[in-house]
Amino acid sequence: MTTASHPSRSLPAEPVGIRVTGLRVRHRRTVALDSVDLDFGPGVHGLLGPNGAGKTSLIRVLATVAEPSGGRVEILGHDAGDQRRRGEVRRRMGYLPQEFGYYPGFTVREFVAYVAWLKEMPAAVTPNAVERAVARVGLADRIDAKVRTLSGGMVRRVGIAQAIVNDPRVLLFDEPTAGLDPEQRVEFRELLRELGASSTVIVSTHLVEDVAAACTEVTLVEGGRVAYRGTPDSLAALGDATDCVGDNPIERGYTAALRAHRARPRQAAALGEAAR
Amino acid sequence: MTGWHAPEHFVTRYADGSLPESDAWSLEKHLECCGTCAARVSRAVRGTAEGVVLAEVREAVLGDARHAVLGDTREAVLPDPRKAGPGASHAAKAAPRAPAAARKAHRARPWAPGSRPARILWAAGPAVRGAWLPAVLLVAVGAVALAHAGGLPDARPWLLALAPVLPVAGVALSYGPHADPLHEIAAATPSAGLRLVLTRTAAVLAVSLPLLTLAGALLPSSDAPGAAAWLLPGLALTLASLALAGHIGVRTATAVTGGGWLCAVLGPVLAAPGGRLTAHLSERLSSFLDGAPAQGGWAAAAVLCAAVLATRRPAHHFLEMR
Repeated sequence: MTTASHPSRSLPAEPVGIRVTGLRVRHRRTVALDSVDLDFGPGVHGLLGPNGAGKTSLIRVLATVAEPSGGRVEILGHDAGDQRRRGEVRRRMGYLPQEFGYYPGFTVREFVAYVAWLKEMPAAVTPNAVERAVARVGLADRIDAKVRTLSGGMVRRVGIAQAIVNDPRVLLFDEPTAGLDPEQRVEFRELLRELGASSTVIVSTHLVEDVAAACTEVTLVEGGRVAYRGTPDSLAALGDATDCVGDNPIERGYTAALRAHRARPRQAAALGEAAR
Repeated sequence: MTGWHAPEHFVTRYADGSLPESDAWSLEKHLECCGTCAARVSRAVRGTAEGVVLAEVREAVLGDARHAVLGDTREAVLPDPRKAGPGASHAAKAAPRAPAAARKAHRARPWAPGSRPARILWAAGPAVRGAWLPAVLLVAVGAVALAHAGGLPDARPWLLALAPVLPVAGVALSYGPHADPLHEIAAATPSAGLRLVLTRTAAVLAVSLPLLTLAGALLPSSDAPGAAAWLLPGLALTLASLALAGHIGVRTATAVTGGGWLCAVLGPVLAAPGGRLTAHLSERLSSFLDGAPAQGGWAAAAVLCAAVLATRRPAHHFLEMR
């Protein structure tokens, strides 16, 4: 009761978001990510970059399904490499992989409820949470349909529903808009903005217009390194300042930032490589 | 208790979830003894988007409570109070009955998602629901059919040679990116890793141990070892697969143990000169399975593997990533 008298000057709030320091990820002999330092707070973060830049590697490490070969990942204040804390992190996380399968006999409801069970949600709240998540992705009328009867875009939306069923504090979407038609993409951006109001949402995408419309921050990855960080506006401003190709300011900004990153002294990178 | 009441910005920020946790705790403590503030928070929460959800949660909780009163002993797990907020109980008193849609008709169905039978099926995992179960049934029924109707009177050695590999194959088909279509999603959940592997292995053993032993017992007895002689080797190989899985992954581990058994048992038999395959196999199996020293050895191996599994847990911490 005494703390209620001094409410605004009490203990610090629970740590939110993600902090990545010196992250290094190797796939056999190739380096997918190299000395990446990033911070993500609440909001929607766009993750842009060419194919093979390391976007999926980064998202998989953040989702705790891939093991980094170096560096530290902190999620919601917990060290993700610490086995004892990982369950706590995972209970409050949602992850949509770039590709995922399903059991052939499952309906949408069963699929989402099964993931809720894997996420250790209490049995009493699961049925309502499942219906709410499915309704949020616009599939309420197909909730008892078999997943295998759905179109590719609908399956992707089922994937989004399983990611958000536990009201996660951290959401990781790998190419969520692939296979969605323009109307569904507009609706999905609306959902992203809603989710970003209270959670840390990271969206990897190829579609710069998704970033411009829904993201509060942009991170551009190229060659396993962070090439650019800023807001959609600052990226667009960068595009306006150059004569790079692109049909709109943010596309020009994307190209400009990539070129600037690639033009940075190669020798320094080569020296660093030799010293290692 | 004192004249203090929660300031308005506290109430609104609590309702939209942006109030820091420590302040929220203080407010919750205060609400326990202050009806005025509780009513204000209830009002604020009903005004948010979560108000609708709360009404549904309330209905679910009341439904479970009704079940409990009616003698239904299923656990009525209460929703996370932090998520539902104290408004839930107060809204329950004030708000009119939730729409009928919120009452879940499908809950009554035994196989509905979240019901106990459904959760047992979920725990069983991909092997027991997929192609492995028919394969085990085929081996068991096929052996009995061949022995009684077909031209293979001495089927038991063949069944005994094959049986220890079947639970190992079940483990291989239960977990990992190659076996579970949902693996990438499951790996990011708190259930992933050793716990999910052990649950699914238990399901595999629960199906295969009784089924194959029963089939063995139904086969005409010859000079081959008894129908239950394969149980300890089967268990030891399964546990060895799990113990290895933390280091080399489930798929490679099961290939090593299952393949190793088949090579050790069948290799010399197939390489032996002359016919009489079944007699050779029977001899070889006897040396592997018959007598207290052999069975004691398998029991010791099983215990050793279980001990490795229990003590080398850090090796399994990244099981879901292999």
